[in-house]
Amino acid sequence: MRLKFITVRGTLILLTFTALFASGCNNSNKQDADDLPPVDTTQTTILNVYGEIFSIPSPFQTALLIKRSGAVFSKDLVNPANKSSHYSTNFVKALNLGIYGADLGYVTIYGQTQDAIGYLNSAKKLADDLDVLGAFDSQTIARFSKNLGDKDSILVLVGDAYRSSDAFFKSIDRSDLSRLVLAGGWLESLYFATNVYKIKQNEDVKRRIAEQKSSLRSLIKLLTPFYSQPEYTEFIDKLNDLSKIFDGVEFKYIYEKPTTDANKKLTTINSKSEIEITPKQIELITQKVKSIRSQIVE
Amino acid sequence: MKKRILKLVLVVGGFTALNYTTAQISDTVATVCAKHFENIFISDGQQYRALLMNTDETAEFHTTLYGGTLYRIAACSGLRDGNLIFSVYDTDRNLLFTNSEYKNAPYWDFKINSTLDCVIEAKLNGATNGSGRAVLLIGFKQQK
Repeated sequence: MRLKFITVRGTLILLTFTALFASGCNNSNKQDADDLPPVDTTQTTILNVYGEIFSIPSPFQTALLIKRSGAVFSKDLVNPANKSSHYSTNFVKALNLGIYGADLGYVTIYGQTQDAIGYLNSAKKLADDLDVLGAFDSQTIARFSKNLGDKDSILVLVGDAYRSSDAFFKSIDRSDLSRLVLAGGWLESLYFATNVYKIKQNEDVKRRIAEQKSSLRSLIKLLTPFYSQPEYTEFIDKLNDLSKIFDGVEFKYIYEKPTTDANKKLTTINSKSEIEITPKQIELITQKVKSIRSQIVE
Repeated sequence: MKKRILKLVLVVGGFTALNYTTAQISDTVATVCAKHFENIFISDGQQYRALLMNTDETAEFHTTLYGGTLYRIAACSGLRDGNLIFSVYDTDRNLLFTNSEYKNAPYWDFKINSTLDCVIEAKLNGATNGSGRAVLLIGFKQQK
């Protein structure tokens, strides 16, 4: 009897202290970091990733490059925003959340304001379907509306929203979904680049296609832990097929000493890289990317 | 039976609240870190987190930095600047930068002339009592 009483009381005490601790963290007069309690690793939800953590470049960067190359805007390149209601599984929703993020960046960069609103709404819908909290909230939507027409501000906002989504998925131990979002965005940006290159051969775009060799390897490493899940198996197999095409792309790196301006907090990386990719390889990559993408967006 | 259910609810609720609190702390560190982007750098859409239990542990982040781009890397642990040491290496392990030579600056900009793969290592500053939660953020803007 006494043991039962202590157990219930102990649990109540745990809950009370936890609630007090949580409110203390939100207090605007909160103490400095050194006063935070030590992390209890048996309880933490922070990803404790031993070894390597992989990063995938933002799809906005390829969209910006495409714009700079002189390519004209093409609505055919983006996944129609009204398809967001077609997607039923979390797997497909997460991939298309990434795809819509890339599309949102693309239309924003080309000044397509109305389209941008549509893509933001589609991204929000998918984020809501995936129970993402805080990334595409009313505050974000309001800021987006306020900054319509200011491309730089919109890109900053959207980048922050996707970072929040990424953090949210990791916080609820659903890093699989955050990785799918990255995969969707990456795939869409490569789809942009390959299709733009088909129309107008530009050296910078060609180079950007070739540079995806390394990012694809990182992406496969990120997704491989989930390979045993049926939806992931086929997708990862297709990415591996694509990677085999990239195996033939030659990348040469030549180190040069960087230079640093301490006053500006700026280091210039002077190293150079050379890439060799053949028209045949680009054609094969283009076809493969189109095939993988079509199965996701349909 | 009712007491057992009550106990179960309380225990689950307690652990859920504790987990939520720990995630909130990480989000707070990330929010502080993101301020270094000054609303001018575009986030790459990811938040890189690692739990470093002591100053001997190192987190490794692999990334590709595109040529023609200006990047800002912000690295934080706790709410004070200077708690995290980060170093950038190329894949041949040439050291490109370390903030330990610049008072553990919480962020640094990198002008990339030609695309490269690199590895960013992060470890706790032994001189301060950081929280152990390392957060790394990468932002960019096109070089004009």
